[in-house]
Amino acid sequence: MRVVDVNRIVGPVPTGDVPSADAPGLLAELDRLAINAACVVHSHDLYYDPTAAAELPADPRLIRVPVAVPGPLGTGVPAGARVVRMCPAEHRFLLTAPHGIALARELAETGVAVLLALESVGPGEIHRLATEVPSLRIVVINTGYRALRELADLMDTHPEVRVDTATLCGHLAVEWVARRYGAQRVLFGTGAPLTDDAGPRFQLDHLELPADEVELIASGNILELLG
Amino acid sequence: MTGIIDAHGHLGAWFAFAIPDSSTESLVRVMDGCGVATMCVSHMLAIGPDSRAGNALLLQEIERFPGRFLGYAVYDPHDPEAARRTADLLDVPGMIGLKLHPDTHEHALDGPGYEAAFELAAERGCVVLAHGMFGSPWCGPQHFATVAARHPSVKLLMGHAGLFPAGFPAAAEVASKYANVTLELCGSRTTARHVAGLVDAVGADRMVFGSDALFLDLRVGVGRVQLAPIDQADRDLLLFGTMTRLLEGCR
Repeated sequence: MRVVDVNRIVGPVPTGDVPSADAPGLLAELDRLAINAACVVHSHDLYYDPTAAAELPADPRLIRVPVAVPGPLGTGVPAGARVVRMCPAEHRFLLTAPHGIALARELAETGVAVLLALESVGPGEIHRLATEVPSLRIVVINTGYRALRELADLMDTHPEVRVDTATLCGHLAVEWVARRYGAQRVLFGTGAPLTDDAGPRFQLDHLELPADEVELIASGNILELLG
Repeated sequence: MTGIIDAHGHLGAWFAFAIPDSSTESLVRVMDGCGVATMCVSHMLAIGPDSRAGNALLLQEIERFPGRFLGYAVYDPHDPEAARRTADLLDVPGMIGLKLHPDTHEHALDGPGYEAAFELAAERGCVVLAHGMFGSPWCGPQHFATVAARHPSVKLLMGHAGLFPAGFPAAAEVASKYANVTLELCGSRTTARHVAGLVDAVGADRMVFGSDALFLDLRVGVGRVQLAPIDQADRDLLLFGTMTRLLEGCR
């Protein structure tokens, strides 16, 4: 089974000494956990300068996810990206103000999907964004185990909202989401190194779902988003 | 390897978030799927509003699934009959100790309401699992240090090893200083890297695996230890060795 982590950070982080501080270290971690590839945001993009696009060594196993920032001090739609991440809290912009909506419409029109961490934006803002730009493909990441009712509000209302498995760690929550909304709306992710990768990877091998649905979660869905 | 012992589990539901299937049957099924032989549990109704009813439900569920669960009686520091009631509960086969949740009960771990609980635990030689939370006014690592010194014979598990990664160094310091404090590892923000770091800091013989199921997905907790970058001998201590030692004399 091919496994692609949709939600990973490469580069040093301010809260600890992590193996993924550089690309070789990250690749070794992926090998150790039998993860074939990862969508990676560079930590400099997250925590230093979101408009500079830090350099990342070319490696077919590391799929660059640029950050996108709206407005006159932002990035526009990053060239060549199929998946971007938007971080309203970290980068201090309003997701559903006019600049944010304009960028979201550009992303939707060009078929670019967006990763949005629930901890960064909140379910209400994601609801407003998905209402304004219903064709935008949104992957809610880092949901946490307490937000299942809010996630259900979003996924019941907005068919283009998906979720990753990073911190979606309530008892059998992944199975519940997959059964109610379809496995095509669930993506394997870890949020590592800030959140755990070993647990979600083990969980992936022990899901109470048919094998074809697990394969969609493991990699099929993100590969479809990546085109 | 023998079966995994989960030192920190729960039965029941919880108000603040949805658990799509909170049945004990579903928990046992997941235990079977990932090699957990035994889970040490308290009932969430007892942690929340009603310790008496919740502890009664706990006994029913332990009896319904023979051999799969060991019980912690929740000690409510606000219940004037807590000492007598929990003493009776500890007489029941399968009950191994007390669960304290200072954060929910808003009573400090080292406060007067828990003194009888520690005295009871010392008398019975049972385990005390207390919710631990770095930065909490009720149950930070410093509170564990106080009661560990006050009751050196009590086997005290620091739940979540302090919960927040920023608090792991303080939790490790307490466990290193007090031989009767053992770190329990569950938490949604804990990573396999944190587990490895705590093993380096305090030793796996001073740590136990816990999952926080049904709050959290058991498989995620098991995987965090099974795939942690640690030696197999240390992994075995975390998954069953240390807890087996702590349970000696409790059942």
